Amino acid sequence: MTGMTAQMVFLAFFGVAAVWFGIVVFRTRSMVRSALALLFSQTAIGVMFLVMQAEFLGVLQIMMMATEMSVMAIFMVMFMMDPGGMGEMNMTHQKRLSLWVGGIGLLAALAVVLLPDWGLVATSVPSAQAQAEDLGRELLSRSMLIFQSAGLTILTAMVAATMVAIVPNAEQRK
Amino acid sequence: MILELMIALSVGAGLFGVGLYGALSQTNLVMIIMGVELILAAALVNVVAFWRYLRPDEPAAQMFALIIMVVMAVEMAVAFGVAIARFRSRGSVEMEEARELKG
Repeated sequence: MTGMTAQMVFLAFFGVAAVWFGIVVFRTRSMVRSALALLFSQTAIGVMFLVMQAEFLGVLQIMMMATEMSVMAIFMVMFMMDPGGMGEMNMTHQKRLSLWVGGIGLLAALAVVLLPDWGLVATSVPSAQAQAEDLGRELLSRSMLIFQSAGLTILTAMVAATMVAIVPNAEQRK
Repeated sequence: MILELMIALSVGAGLFGVGLYGALSQTNLVMIIMGVELILAAALVNVVAFWRYLRPDEPAAQMFALIIMVVMAVEMAVAFGVAIARFRSRGSVEMEEARELKG
């Protein structure tokens, strides 16, 4: 099996896994299973990045999503009325409309994939070390402002999320 | 090679469709966040595929992927902040009951 064919097979396998686990997220009644399915879906996407030779992004995706989904599972158990899915509670609405919109979105995206002429595609990529070096240089030169803005945005979001979530002093005294 | 690009972009399209369905059909805020996460993951897959198969020599594409990851993290942090505030004031994060934005 040539390198390219192997890449295609693994890409298709982990791609199908990512979409399948994405579907399982909304099919299962147990919220913990939903969070785990999303974790598997995001991990499959991370492995797809590794298959596409984007080592740094692949590892980052797997590490970030593992943490993010663990937090999400905790929130689900905290906030869901029926986290185990034992009570047969229906937590969906406008199902038919959602299916239509999701289906149309999928078809539109597939049309965008199939219709254009993508031209020549690259056969080789820089080594992992060269990629990390290039990305580092990019972050500290041309994209410095965007990089700094992203950092500031995260900081602002952290402060905003904490401010929204904490109980105001006046309310605590009551 | 073009087939690999097509496969990656089709996975992105699939994730987008599933995420859109989830974000629209769920009544619980945490489940809606999951749908939005899948939509953002679709964008992420597309950006990495474009980098790999069209411009592997351009590190700015990886920069875009990092920005999408930042958006995913920020979206989750803010949404969970809103979920905690909503749960405290109304005792539920069911969006069917959220008819107004006033806390």
